[in-house]
Amino acid sequence: MSASFRNFLITRLLLTIPMVLILITFVFFIMRILPGDPIRSQLGPRVSAEQADRIAERLGLNRPLYVQYFDFLWKTVTLDFGTALTQGERPIIQELGEKLPATIELTVPAMTFTAVVGIGLGAYAATRRKKPIDFGIRLFSIIVYSIPIFFMGLIFQIIFSVRLNLLPLAGRMDPLLLINFNSITNFYILDAILTRNWAALVSALRHLILPATTLGLALAGVFIRLTRVNMIEMLHADFITAGRARGIPEGRLAYRHALRNTFIPILTLIGLQLAILMAGAVLTETTFSWPGIGRYLVTRIQLRDYTAVQSTIAVFAVFVAGISLAMDVLYAFIDPRIRY
Amino acid sequence: MSKTQSDFEFSPSAETVPDWMLELDQVGIVRRMLMARKWYGGDWWFVVFSALLLLFVIIVGFFPQWFAPHDPRAEVGPSLLAPGEPPSSYVLVTTVDSGVTSLRQIADSSNYIGYQVATPSSQALRDALDELNATAEEGVRYQPRPKRFETLEEGLDALQAGEVDGFVASPQELEGVMENYPALEVASGLREAAESGFVLGTNQIGQDILSRIIWGTRIALIVGLSSALFALVIGVPLGLISAYVGGSLDRVLTLIMDSLYAFPGLILAISIAAVLGAGITNIIIAIAVLYIPTYFRIVRGQVLSVKEELYIEAAQSLGAKSRTILWRYIFPNVIPSVVIIFSVNVADAILTEAGLSFLGFGLPPDTPDWGIDLARGQDYVRRAWWLITFPGLMVTMVTLAFSMLGESLSEILNPRLSEL
Repeated sequence: MSASFRNFLITRLLLTIPMVLILITFVFFIMRILPGDPIRSQLGPRVSAEQADRIAERLGLNRPLYVQYFDFLWKTVTLDFGTALTQGERPIIQELGEKLPATIELTVPAMTFTAVVGIGLGAYAATRRKKPIDFGIRLFSIIVYSIPIFFMGLIFQIIFSVRLNLLPLAGRMDPLLLINFNSITNFYILDAILTRNWAALVSALRHLILPATTLGLALAGVFIRLTRVNMIEMLHADFITAGRARGIPEGRLAYRHALRNTFIPILTLIGLQLAILMAGAVLTETTFSWPGIGRYLVTRIQLRDYTAVQSTIAVFAVFVAGISLAMDVLYAFIDPRIRY
Repeated sequence: MSKTQSDFEFSPSAETVPDWMLELDQVGIVRRMLMARKWYGGDWWFVVFSALLLLFVIIVGFFPQWFAPHDPRAEVGPSLLAPGEPPSSYVLVTTVDSGVTSLRQIADSSNYIGYQVATPSSQALRDALDELNATAEEGVRYQPRPKRFETLEEGLDALQAGEVDGFVASPQELEGVMENYPALEVASGLREAAESGFVLGTNQIGQDILSRIIWGTRIALIVGLSSALFALVIGVPLGLISAYVGGSLDRVLTLIMDSLYAFPGLILAISIAAVLGAGITNIIIAIAVLYIPTYFRIVRGQVLSVKEELYIEAAQSLGAKSRTILWRYIFPNVIPSVVIIFSVNVADAILTEAGLSFLGFGLPPDTPDWGIDLARGQDYVRRAWWLITFPGLMVTMVTLAFSMLGESLSEILNPRLSEL
């Protein structure tokens, strides 16, 4: 590891910390300063003042704001989120441990779909520039971008579940199979393979198809556009002209030489897309009743469960910052020019 | 970026650069748009199509009352009526010599009316009575005594025997059966006001879908345009100042903006909207916050590259004030990008608003809003496809119009790529 790479790594790591801190702070104060009493909004107006005080004391809500803030920061660092205020009052870390795998199981196939379809179509459009197929692919990318992700999901449900009855409507697995399903890691596909429960594996995969395709397709639009633009630029680069002069076939030039160099900007894009992916996951999970972290966040916000919401957003922030850090490092590793 | 390098990169000779491009560099944004001949090669109809679509959407958004046949909040028809299906295809069957021709006559004298149990005819009868009572004089309430029958034949037999004065049934059910009852006739439609169907159907509480999506255009445009404008008004000056002043202010602002930018926008908007509560202003604020970093980043980047130009230095040495330099010398450079981002942002804001409403964090529940209609329609995904399809298509169409406009604007204003 060269010195410049190490320096880059350290700088980038140090920049991640304030980023996460800003987000957590933002959410903390937004949840506290703005109108609305967390206890009353949860338990309703019929709670007596005495009861409310007692609950506030138990949760530490009667302490000065800055004490609560530092307490919250410390708890985030130590991953001690406390218990949820509603629905069973289970430890939040335990709930997140169940929900996060569901989200990952949804987003990883979706992202793979996006990358394959997006890069494939984008590169193909670039090689067929200004031909009808290029125009068609561009139009497709704009349309896909413009369709609200939940609408796309609902349309898929109507077509493939209600009309054709091919795929299940919602959920992660057939409820009948779920009764006897032994979940070890909460990654259902992984668990099904580990326990050799093939019926469950098929069910889990069938349930995954619609949500993953929906999420993947919704993100593919941006990917197609960026791959196409970068690839067009790359196809006009000097080294391609040089290759062409040497008689390297056009297809090989495009897919072996140009596309490979296009991967670098695309990699950054994957990092940036993560934010959109997470937002998309919230909507997809709601549409398909997928018990992931996005739906968890939405229901907890609706219940005004302050501790659960703060902790979930903190996890989101760390997750996003972590991935973007990883992407940047990978990027710097591949392309030495950007180690500043 | 050093000056020499940029000069080197962009020193086109007259042979390599077409005349129109040189001309473009000399004119303002409006002339540039009109002169940009990059509209050829298929792109021009992109522009025309999106502009026409937008014009239409804006007219509909401004004057929904011209287009909407009904009040979007009023329960104007029976619930869950499929597109084009007539509101009530049910008819009233009476005996030929009774002289009874309408439901009103039966209802007037509080006589018996029959229908078959466990069929939609009970709902049809109830709807028809509601309509009758709505048009009745003050204090009058029509209430014929209902009589339920297990089968159609039982009911018709009873009618022939005079036990009931009328019977409710659909024409399809009566087909082929009526011949067996020579003494009976189809007197009239169940409803007096023979309405034509609802073009796009009705939702579960009998609101007209067409009217709701037309009024929804207004909400979408208001939220989309004002939140993008709000973000622009805050983000652009911040970006200008931050880049121009530099130093620690720039560093802090960039850090904050980058953090906001990296975080999933919808989740931030949800948190803000949840705390602020339902309401159109709150939604606009929640969405605007998401887009401030977009303007900030683009403007800042452009200012940083323009700041070192020679003409800025010249203005500074002539003693121009910072404010003058910012607004008269630097700001015009960022206008094209801001226009493009604005257009794309409106599209994005409309999507985000629909998403927020879909999740239940948007507007008050009865607002005619596409996201709310989609969320309500989700419960009926198995039964009524039209509840979801039409509001969804509207969101798609309007977003598409704004994205296509942004796309074509960027081709016109940044012709760099088109030249490759």
